[in-house]
Amino acid sequence: MIAVNRHTLSNGLRIVHNEDRSTQMVAINVLYDVGARDEEEGRTGFAHLFEHLMFGGSMNIPDYDAPVQEAGGENNAWTTNDFTNYYLTLPAQNAEVGFWLESDRMLGLAFSSESLEVQRQVVMEEFKQRYLNQPYGDSSHLTRAMAYTVHPYRWPTIGLELSHIADASLDDVKDFFFRFYAPNNAVLSVAGNITFDEVVRLAEKWFGPIPRRDIRVRNLPKEPVQTEMRRMEVECDVPMDALYLTFHMCNRLHPDYYATDMLSDLLANGRSSRLIQHLVKEKQLFSQIDAYVTGSVDDGLLQINGKPLPGISLEQAEEAVWEELERLKSEPIGEGESEKVKNKFEANTLFGELNVMNKAMNLGFYKMLGDTELINREIDIFRSVAPQEIVEMARRAFVPHRCSTLVIKSKR
Amino acid sequence: MKIFPDMQPPVVIPERVNAPLAEVERLPNGVELHVLDCSQSDVMRVSFVFGAGTSWQSVPFSASATVNLLSEGTRSWTSHEISEQLDYYGSFFDVNIDRDYAVDTFCCLTKFFERTMEIAREVIFMPTFPEQELEIYAMKRKQQLLINRTKPDFVAREVFGRTLFGADHPYGASSPVESYDTLSRDDLVRFYDAVYRAENCFMVASGKISQPHREVLRSLAAEFRAGGAAVDRLFPEPHTEYEKYMPFEGAVQTSIRIGKMMFPRQHPDFIGLQVAASVLGGYFGSRLIQNLRERHGFTYGVYAAMVNFDKAGYFAIATEVGRQFTDEAVREIYAEVERLCNERVPREELEMVKNIIVGEMMRVLDGPFGLADVTMENVQNGFDNSYIDHTVARIRSLTPDDVLGLAQRYLGRDGFVTVLVG
Repeated sequence: MIAVNRHTLSNGLRIVHNEDRSTQMVAINVLYDVGARDEEEGRTGFAHLFEHLMFGGSMNIPDYDAPVQEAGGENNAWTTNDFTNYYLTLPAQNAEVGFWLESDRMLGLAFSSESLEVQRQVVMEEFKQRYLNQPYGDSSHLTRAMAYTVHPYRWPTIGLELSHIADASLDDVKDFFFRFYAPNNAVLSVAGNITFDEVVRLAEKWFGPIPRRDIRVRNLPKEPVQTEMRRMEVECDVPMDALYLTFHMCNRLHPDYYATDMLSDLLANGRSSRLIQHLVKEKQLFSQIDAYVTGSVDDGLLQINGKPLPGISLEQAEEAVWEELERLKSEPIGEGESEKVKNKFEANTLFGELNVMNKAMNLGFYKMLGDTELINREIDIFRSVAPQEIVEMARRAFVPHRCSTLVIKSKR
Repeated sequence: MKIFPDMQPPVVIPERVNAPLAEVERLPNGVELHVLDCSQSDVMRVSFVFGAGTSWQSVPFSASATVNLLSEGTRSWTSHEISEQLDYYGSFFDVNIDRDYAVDTFCCLTKFFERTMEIAREVIFMPTFPEQELEIYAMKRKQQLLINRTKPDFVAREVFGRTLFGADHPYGASSPVESYDTLSRDDLVRFYDAVYRAENCFMVASGKISQPHREVLRSLAAEFRAGGAAVDRLFPEPHTEYEKYMPFEGAVQTSIRIGKMMFPRQHPDFIGLQVAASVLGGYFGSRLIQNLRERHGFTYGVYAAMVNFDKAGYFAIATEVGRQFTDEAVREIYAEVERLCNERVPREELEMVKNIIVGEMMRVLDGPFGLADVTMENVQNGFDNSYIDHTVARIRSLTPDDVLGLAQRYLGRDGFVTVLVG
């Protein structure tokens, strides 16, 4: 149970807070409601590139990192398809340093061309390191492009191609900043050894003077319902074959989210889960298999991916996965199995709230979703899903003509 | 126009880092039980730490197979029944192995503590290492290793170990995937009998812990077998090579590993060299990051650190750079090391690095599981949590002259190992 305090500044900055006297730290998290889904098709990877540029100096502070480090702090950021998240943790005594730093880069960036030059290079190396120099590194590019035809989720946060990053200009950067980075498009969340009064006082002092900006209402195309089977086979220089099945699911706030998440948990969360128990251990068809939901703000994906063992044909492997999915659709789920998934969810939730950094991030995320108290209700919501609802969800989700299948064949 | 104060708020660095001491109980069989009752949240974590890392094995992969197969079948339960039960309570069982230690960790909701510890008892004391499970395990791990060995950074780590310590040294060895084909159940049973013993083990528990919980923990600790044949590891003199290049077809980046043999953590200069390593590449904004990433755009990341084992330690630098930048990057790395040996670190920079390290120690200690990790590491190195205070004091006292002296004494070009894969 996380006690949540809330406040909104007159410039629209939303604030959420949780106090924890048992720690020596304070975590400050600023979430901007902009992600890869807000990019244009010909300029992908920009939200993520921009995340890097946020460390290249701001209005009054030439170097972001040095003051954080002087204060014994640590910071980082990450970009998703939905939002961009910046966090720092500091010894509680130095919390104000965090307010000073974060407010200054919300006020404005230095917009230096050297910083753009270097970060472009860095991001291109990141692209190579994570997506090109890794076996299966491009699988998220391929699966997203199959599952989405119009929604911008069809590219991953790193972007569609290196050239989009190479071509970014300083004007693009400025434009992006003023379109998306604003107090009225952000959530400030603070957790740790600091009172709510102090948080409000520091937020008023540092963030209060930043002007509200004109944020266009997001208007993204809704992905049409998939009606035909999609399939792609590629041959790559990878050590073994891989299989990816991608299905559509609802958005994060839809009531169906919980039953869908439970589906993926039944399939592959934990060693006793169905796919691992049946396909890895008993039938020995896969060396590894996983299932997860993207949990995105707009309609998301449920993905199953696995690597068949040598000697197992891809057809055989694919058929075995479908057999499991059909079983989910046709046989009732026992109380024990559903209780298991629920206990696991409760444990995961509590384990995920043990340090101040996670608490601050979670608070920011739920506030952005528009329902901060959901953070404390989710265990109960999960517990209230009836086994029969999961079966019905499986029937709706696991339909062959709503599936995108990617097969990566090993050249070796 | 300045619309708000650009003045930086003052910075305070806490003089002390608050790391509660664990309550330590020594059972008659010699097992130490470290208890940290430190959580508001209804969770618990119990780790069993064994001196059973890969340096203890004589058969390749037997140490990791042993720890990984503990939960794959016991006298009362099959692998499936064990994972079914653990999953049912939402409990986690995790194993971790390095060169020196194998660690089995159970995490659970406090309300399921007793049930989880019943499973722990089976897993730790009554594993049967079923043939069939070993076969599945070996096949999976072999595939995983095959995949890993297509990654230049993974290969670089292995090659670096072999180059620094020698291919036959317990801290340098890496084995061919085929060794999985000959790994037998007997190898595991022998290894388990030899090293999973009272004199080779301690336990760390953290979370919300009541008296009845302690009783359960004590009774578990008391079950370890004491006595029997003590195994000792043989540590030959390292056989170091100094330059190694391994071409890697298709790599778009080169993995660079540079390092030098030092000493274990107990050495009086370890902490000082840790500070020197941090100046070089221990944080985002370090000299190497400034140089290789920010100034040149050679890389996404670069790190330097002191690495410690029970009986050795080394200074290491690691990075992946665009292939075309390889030579230049190596040159810049050595130039930065040399700068440490030739110039005093400016006082402000040193103070900042000290603050970073102290802040990092506070961060790692945040939360009951973080505190357990720190406690475990301290006990492995022969300390209790007062080592945190000692470290903070030692770090605080270091002057630019001290760092220069340490760099000159230990970081001269002679003896450095350079490994390039790509």
